[in-house]
Amino acid sequence: MRWTACELHAHTLHSDGKMTLLELASAAAKLGFECVALTDHNTMSGLADKEAAERQAGIAILPGMEWTTFHGHMVTVGLAEYVDWREANTGNIHDGVSAVHARGGVAGLAHPFRIGSPACTGCYWEYEMEDWNDFDYIEAWSGTFAPIKTDNARAFSLWTDKLNEGYRLAATSGRDWHDAAETEEPISVTYLRLEDESRPIGEEAAEALRRGRVSVTIGPLVTLEAQTPAASYRIGDVIPVGERTVTARIGIDFSVRQGLWTLADPACRIRLSSNKGVLEESAVQATEGTQEARITVQTEGLSWMRAELWGIVRGVTTMIAFTNAIYFD
Amino acid sequence: MLIDIRANATPEDSRTHVRFPFKLDEPACAVGIHFEYSPKCLDDDSRARELLEQSFEKYVLPEQLALAKERLDRHLPLKNLITLSVDDPAGYRGACHRHDPVQSLWISEHDASPGLMKGKIAAGEWTITLSVHAVVTERCAYRLQVWAADEVEKGEQP
Ligand SMILES: [Zn+2]
Ligand SMILES: [Zn+2]
Repeated sequence: MRWTACELHAHTLHSDGKMTLLELASAAAKLGFECVALTDHNTMSGLADKEAAERQAGIAILPGMEWTTFHGHMVTVGLAEYVDWREANTGNIHDGVSAVHARGGVAGLAHPFRIGSPACTGCYWEYEMEDWNDFDYIEAWSGTFAPIKTDNARAFSLWTDKLNEGYRLAATSGRDWHDAAETEEPISVTYLRLEDESRPIGEEAAEALRRGRVSVTIGPLVTLEAQTPAASYRIGDVIPVGERTVTARIGIDFSVRQGLWTLADPACRIRLSSNKGVLEESAVQATEGTQEARITVQTEGLSWMRAELWGIVRGVTTMIAFTNAIYFD
Repeated sequence: MLIDIRANATPEDSRTHVRFPFKLDEPACAVGIHFEYSPKCLDDDSRARELLEQSFEKYVLPEQLALAKERLDRHLPLKNLITLSVDDPAGYRGACHRHDPVQSLWISEHDASPGLMKGKIAAGEWTITLSVHAVVTERCAYRLQVWAADEVEKGEQP
């Protein structure tokens, strides 16, 4: 088992990006990513250079494609082959998702609240949704310094609303990276928990997204486990009915991607959130290593819980990291 | 020339695909495609602001409307966007989703323009699809030319 630092949304000059695949992969490796998904608009032609770019940059490249349709942008990752995006209309997006799933891929809503037509046709999600469980994830954080952006706050609330409605849906970040230029702004990382490293990383990453084994951050890696005397559950797992109390263990690993992010203020707050609101909040200090908080949780009425890290970044109080949910049956 | 058309798209054509099928009677070395449209930008500033304000009503939360209007300029100028994808007799050969209003494209067994996939140029029914994402000007004139070619002609427009 390993948490892998991923960038899940990036473009090359095979669509409207400015980088070659090798430039993209090298830039991602320099930022401490172990894995980058190529999600060009409506084409997978850039993947022809995949093996060579992986070898030279020393990083894994996940096959993907962003369905750049008139009514929404849908990121797909892990597909073995192309699925046609041109038949999509407001009433049939679930057919497209089924076709993506049939080819081994996962599908998520890209930047669902970015301003739409005519500024950016399709950038705002306008599809009729029959069953949110059909989708694998929502890109809750898009762009750089993602947690302070209003569109992302809206996407994050959408995710929380869907969790509250009982859907089991992952949330990710994706830079929507087009440009080789360096930025001073904090960069989000989507950590995926890979269970079986003997399998191809593309399949494992898709599985992690499908199962919600996901933790997102602009700094330290936050993890969450729930323990009962009999078993332990991790992010994406479902705790069976009958467990009256569990011990939540929140881990905060400040040692990841050393030197590639900073917190100006070491004072942070760790929060355990749920469908019943905030279950507990406590102070932590940023260190060089790892910290752990243990919280006893009464499971009555709970359908999900997640950990969040809050603090001051660039003078703004903001969410720094969030885990995906552990669910209760 | 397999296709040589001049036509106009209007705002009503936004969010539609226009398909141009053509037939290759025998396998070719390559297919050349030239596509251009004009104008790219909506120069009428007050019209652009009007269109954006209409879209904000739809896409922005009421409590963020004032802020969005303050930052309206970041979306200017409004642009027309038409992109192109290619199908050969066996299936999809890729798309050129970019903002350039003039694109000279090439697809052959051994190489292809970014976005398109190299490979055999088989005989049969091919299709060029123009995806009209947005037309913000009163009309947008476009020209599409497609021809079969030898490798040596690369890049040359007949
Ligand atoms: Zn997009
Ligand atoms: Zn994108």
